Amino acid sequence: MDTPIQFQINTGSAEPIYRQLMDQLRRRVAAGQWKAGQELPSVRELALELAVHPMTISKAYSLLEAEGWLERRRGLPMVVAAGHARPAATRDRIEQLRPTLARAAAEARELGIPPERVLELFERLLHTPEPGAPR
Amino acid sequence: MNPALPSPAHSNGLGLLAQHGEPAASVEIDGLVLGYRGRPVLQGLDWRLQPGQVVGLLGRNGAGKTTLLEALLGLRDPQAGEVRLFGQPAARLDDAARARIGYVPQANNLFEELRAGELLAYFRSFYPRWNEAKVQALLKRWQVPLDVEIGRLSGGQQQRLAIIRALAHEPDLLVLDEPVASLDPLARRDFLRELVEQVLDRGTTVVFSTHILSDLERVAFNVAFLQGGRIALQAPLDALLDEALVVSGPEPLLDRLPDAAVLARPPGRRLLRGLAEAQLPAGLVAQRASLEELFEVLT
Repeated sequence: MDTPIQFQINTGSAEPIYRQLMDQLRRRVAAGQWKAGQELPSVRELALELAVHPMTISKAYSLLEAEGWLERRRGLPMVVAAGHARPAATRDRIEQLRPTLARAAAEARELGIPPERVLELFERLLHTPEPGAPR
Repeated sequence: MNPALPSPAHSNGLGLLAQHGEPAASVEIDGLVLGYRGRPVLQGLDWRLQPGQVVGLLGRNGAGKTTLLEALLGLRDPQAGEVRLFGQPAARLDDAARARIGYVPQANNLFEELRAGELLAYFRSFYPRWNEAKVQALLKRWQVPLDVEIGRLSGGQQQRLAIIRALAHEPDLLVLDEPVASLDPLARRDFLRELVEQVLDRGTTVVFSTHILSDLERVAFNVAFLQGGRIALQAPLDALLDEALVVSGPEPLLDRLPDAAVLARPPGRRLLRGLAEAQLPAGLVAQRASLEELFEVLT
């Protein structure tokens, strides 16, 4: 069974919604959870589901297509592009995490939290099941 | 589909070409001046809304959002300036242009002694077009009782009825002044979906004021900030979030930043656009901004 393609967005962040969608897809595909050939919801479906302006969705899809993550097929739903059948190397996946962690590291320094306490918190978060994040 | 209607804009929101000889903009405001008892509210405001755009209007309490939306609809006479809707002066719209507008005012303007069913039947008689199937579906989904006097409905029910009334005739321009203030989070989400559907199906132009920034972030592709009686900035929200930086540091350093990149100058900070973090002089700290932070510095 493929993992169903479902997106979540967080409002109130400095990350625009189209980039949240792009990052989620890149991570899920890199992790091998969303696989080559899996169909994406249409712009309409996703815009209505998330209650988001349709141009935001089409912008994310077009950029992902340009980066080679998605494939457009005439008259059919977009799919995860071939070449993403297997999870990416761990090294590549770690690189995708770098910007988020770099931001967290900078904030920890600003708050003056010692590294061991930060790592302790991160460890705890890694082992906590994801809460039902607001959509 | 009624062929006499403007074809649904393909909602690229980036300034659609005029079609069928229509003016390019749904709303054109030039040099609008309006005040009350000598207190200036709008001070030479210019604004354009292109067909198919969904624009979120942001401003502090008392900034004049309601005044602006009322003037936009021709409900207030400006002391100076010009407002045109679909190319016609807002104060002298013909019936055809009037029928293309839907409005949800901040204060309820429904007839309290009527029942919801009577109210809708009354309005239906005014409009050449009326989507009864949509009205019935929304009444059911939003649980608005038809046989109770409007004055006895809850605030949320009245607001839902006002929204249904504004959507019923499938307007090309939808003006929403704090439309969700009395709605619970689920009803708000459902309302936003309805708005997205209007945009998808009809390319409706929407202008929307609210203090609920999360709603705006979802559905508004463009945001406009009302400050000092003018639209201080209007831009696509995703581009603003991508490009805007809040920079803080000592004033002398801040003063050396190129004027062209500075959008706002709150004390000790600057809002910049079009300057990369790497181009900043040492001694300044830059942070990307959320919509809430943009609201704080731009309104």
